[in-house]
Amino acid sequence: MNTFEVLQKNLAHLSRTHPRRRAAAVPAMQNLQAELGYLDDMAITKLAQITGLSTTELEELATFYSLIYRRPPGRHVVQICDSVCCNMRGADQLLESAEKYLHRPLGAITPNGALSVLPSICLGLCDKAPAALVDGEALGPLNNASLEALLQRLQKGD
Amino acid sequence: METLLTRHLDATTPLNLAAYQAIGGYCSLSAAFDLKPEKIIETVEAADLRGRGGAGFSCGLKWRLRGADAPSPRYLICNLDESEPGTFKDRYLLYGGPHQIIEAVIVSAYALQAERAFIFVRGEYAKGGHSLNQAIQEAETAGLLGSSICGSGFNLQIEVHLSGGRYICGEETAQINAIEGKRPNPRPKIPRPSTHGLWGQPTTTNNVETLVNIPHILLNGADWFRSLGVNGGCGPKLFCVSGKVRHSGLFELPCGTPAGELIFEHAGGLDEGRTLLGFLPGGASTAFLLPEHLDLPMDFDPVAKAGSRLGTGSLIVLDNSTCPVEFTLNLMRFFARESCGFCTPCRDGLPYLAQILTAIASGEGHADDLALLDELCATVASQSFCAFAPGAVMPLISSIQCFHTHYEQHVTNGHCPFDTTTQGERQP
Repeated sequence: MNTFEVLQKNLAHLSRTHPRRRAAAVPAMQNLQAELGYLDDMAITKLAQITGLSTTELEELATFYSLIYRRPPGRHVVQICDSVCCNMRGADQLLESAEKYLHRPLGAITPNGALSVLPSICLGLCDKAPAALVDGEALGPLNNASLEALLQRLQKGD
Repeated sequence: METLLTRHLDATTPLNLAAYQAIGGYCSLSAAFDLKPEKIIETVEAADLRGRGGAGFSCGLKWRLRGADAPSPRYLICNLDESEPGTFKDRYLLYGGPHQIIEAVIVSAYALQAERAFIFVRGEYAKGGHSLNQAIQEAETAGLLGSSICGSGFNLQIEVHLSGGRYICGEETAQINAIEGKRPNPRPKIPRPSTHGLWGQPTTTNNVETLVNIPHILLNGADWFRSLGVNGGCGPKLFCVSGKVRHSGLFELPCGTPAGELIFEHAGGLDEGRTLLGFLPGGASTAFLLPEHLDLPMDFDPVAKAGSRLGTGSLIVLDNSTCPVEFTLNLMRFFARESCGFCTPCRDGLPYLAQILTAIASGEGHADDLALLDELCATVASQSFCAFAPGAVMPLISSIQCFHTHYEQHVTNGHCPFDTTTQGERQP
C-alpha cells in the first residue's frame, strides 16, 4: 500500500470521527506514522491535501510534538527517561552507556536500521526508576548490564 | 483504610465489562440518572472534592460555575495527560481499570449535560489508550454509551485523544488547542474555557483522578466522602512516592495523611544510614519541604500554608546523598525543554536559568549568580503568559532558600561538595 492509499484508508475513519478536519491532523499523523515509521515530506504534503491545512501548519504541529518523527527512527525505539526520579537512580549513566555501547549519539540509528535510543521526559514510571519505554512497553528498573543486554537483543532483531 | 479507587486495578488483566459490572461497576449510572444534574453538582460541591490534577480547585464549584444554562454542545475533557515528573497515579488508573474511568466520565458528563467527552491520554501511555478504546467499544455495544444511555434520554459519545507528546498539553487551554488540532500553546484565560472552550463552546476539564471519585460520591453521599479524609482532608488521595525511598510506589490513603507516614511507613523510609534532606510534595513544579514538615498533612491548604503546593500529591524524596543543586538543575532542564516557546520570558528565561545553574552545579558559578537567579526567577514568573513558568521557577526559588549552604559551597569551593561517582552512592 503506498502512502496515499494509507492516508485514504485512515481518512475514511477519521472523517467520521472528526467533522472538523483540522482536529484529525494529529490522529492522522499518528496513524500514518504507525504505517510508515515517520512522516516524510511526501506524507506532510498529502496530509495537507486531506486536512485542508497548509504544509507549514502541519510542520508546526509535527515539530512541536516529541512523539511525531520527521526523521526515520530505528525499527525498535528505546526511550530512556532522563527526568528527575530516574536521574536520581542513574539515568545519566544509562544514556551514556547506550551511546558507548552503540557507538553513536542518542537519536542516531544503528547501521542495520534496527534500533534508536532517545532521551525522554518523565515517562510516568518513577516507581520503576530508572525506566524506559521499549516500543511503548514499560521497562524498569534498568541497570547498565540489563540495558546492554536489551540493546544487544534489539539490535540482533530478536 | 479500605481502598476505593485502586481496589480493583489490575494492569496485567484489567477487568472487562462483565467482570467490572460483577463487582458493582456502572451502578452509579442509574443512581445518577435518577437525580437531576443540579442535584449531583450540589452533592459533589458538598463533598469538597478538590481537583487532583494539581490546581486543587473545587470540582463541584467548577461545575456549578459553568452554569446549567450553558449553550449546547457542551464538552467534558478528562485530563489523562500525566507528565509531571514524579507523578504516575493516572497511569495506574488507565492501565489498571479503563471501565472505572468510563463510568466516571459518563456520570460526570451527565451532571454537566455534556453530550461529548474527550479523554486526553498522554502519548507515552498509548497502550493504555488502546485498552481504553477497547473498553469504550465494549461499553458502546452494551448500551452504556451512545444514544439514550440505559433509556435515560441522555446521549454521550466518548473519544480518546492520544497526545503527540508534550508536557504543556496537560494545561487546560493548551489541551483544548491540541484537541482542535492547533499548536498546543495555552490560550488567554479570558474568555474562560467554561464558556468558550473547545470550538468556542462550554468546556469543563477535570483530572482523571478527580473524576473517578464521582461515582463513589453519588452512591455514598457527600458526608461519607468527606469522612474518608484525615486531618481536615476530604476523600481518598492517590499519593505517589519516589526518589530516595526504599519502596517507591502508589499509595491510596486518606487525603491529609502526614508526609512522614507516607515516606517512612508506606514507602519504607530511606536507605540504611541516610537522612532526609527534603522532598517535593506535589511533583516537579512545587516548592521543597523540609524534615520539619514531616507532620504536615498532605492536603491542599496545609501544604499551601507551608509555602508549597499539594500539586498532584507526588512526593519526590531527597536524602543526604542527593545534591540539591544537581537535582534542581535536572528540573530546570526539564522545564526549559518543555516550554512551549510561545512567550519570550519562558522560552528564553528558562534555558538561561538552566545555563546559570549548570555553571553553579559544575563549580563554575560566580558569587553573584545566586542573586541573578533570584532576579531572573522573579522576572520569568511575573512576565510569562501562563502558569507553566511560575511553576517551573517555584522549585528553584525554594531550592536556593532551603539549600542555600549547598549553593554557596558549589560557588565558593569551585566544585560539587558531593562525590562525583554515581549519585546514588554519594556522600556529602
